[in-house]
Amino acid sequence: MFVLLAMLAAGVINHRRRQAAMQQSQVELLKTRNGMDAASSAMTALGSPDPESDLRGKPAPAFTLVDLSGKKVSLADYKGKPVVIDFWATYCAPCKLEMPWFEEFTAKYKSQGLVVLGIDQDDAVSKDAIAQAAKRTGVTYPILMPDKTISGNYKLGDYLPQTFFVDKNGMIVEEVIGGRAKDEIEADVKKISE
Amino acid sequence: MRLQFGLALLAAMVAASWVSHAQDIRLNDDSPVKKPHLVLLTDGVSVKPGTEQVVELRFRVDPGYHINSHSPMDDLLIPTTLKFVPGAVKVEGTEYPQGEIIKLTGNGEGLDVYQGEFKVQMRLVAPRGFSTMTGTVRYQACDNSACFPPKTLAVRVAVTAK
Repeated sequence: MFVLLAMLAAGVINHRRRQAAMQQSQVELLKTRNGMDAASSAMTALGSPDPESDLRGKPAPAFTLVDLSGKKVSLADYKGKPVVIDFWATYCAPCKLEMPWFEEFTAKYKSQGLVVLGIDQDDAVSKDAIAQAAKRTGVTYPILMPDKTISGNYKLGDYLPQTFFVDKNGMIVEEVIGGRAKDEIEADVKKISE
Repeated sequence: MRLQFGLALLAAMVAASWVSHAQDIRLNDDSPVKKPHLVLLTDGVSVKPGTEQVVELRFRVDPGYHINSHSPMDDLLIPTTLKFVPGAVKVEGTEYPQGEIIKLTGNGEGLDVYQGEFKVQMRLVAPRGFSTMTGTVRYQACDNSACFPPKTLAVRVAVTAK
């Protein structure tokens, strides 16, 4: 009976600890998501994807899309090169904040063959408006129009930007939801450019 | 007997733990991503019948989020726009409040947004009695690191004119 009571007590303690840990993680999540002063704080990414949509360590899903000029662009075209795949939209200010940095990194890591592909996620926005938005950010890397499958294949959520860092072997090394500081992005660029 | 009671209690604890875990999972499903991030706080207004009256509709943006004002600084951003279906109550005009200017770190350009509570003024002419205005608010929400697709929120306002 004593053993049984000890097990029960241990069970209760473990349960409470688990609950406390979960509550703490919820609080931390709320702090991250809601406690920030948007006017003054640095961008903090929402973080990594949940386990069900986590593609890290998996091959980047193949795609063939068209760019703004109608030219077909496939991920396979860049086999053997590090590739950043950036999902963005014209309405997304954090996306457009990052885009000039990606442009800068394509030049800085040119010798490593770094490629950046921007994939637009607008709905019912003209190509001209998308091209205009891209031009304003100063990017020259390919801006691709999505097809019906790419969002599902990359398990995108309801928010932008979402960025995938693909190494030379075509494996997704890092997947990030939300905008981040420039140095954090560059750290991931370095990971795939080594 | 005591042993049976103890085992039953243990089983109950395990079941309670499982139920608690299942509830946590449901909580996670109700993530902020799926929320509209905007709510109309005003559900009804009272006016004098047959004459133009100004009413205020109060909205609230979820803490930590912002939506573009009615006049965002970038023409590619989605302005917050309130539209009502034509009906018994005539909308003679809509006045949106000025937004707040915020800046994302590292970006020289500001964003003109609504945060927290804001009020939209409407000039109405309502017939005597009770009417209901139905319409939509189109807006697009972000926090300081991510944006959500443009959304359309259905709104309904009861108008009492007497």
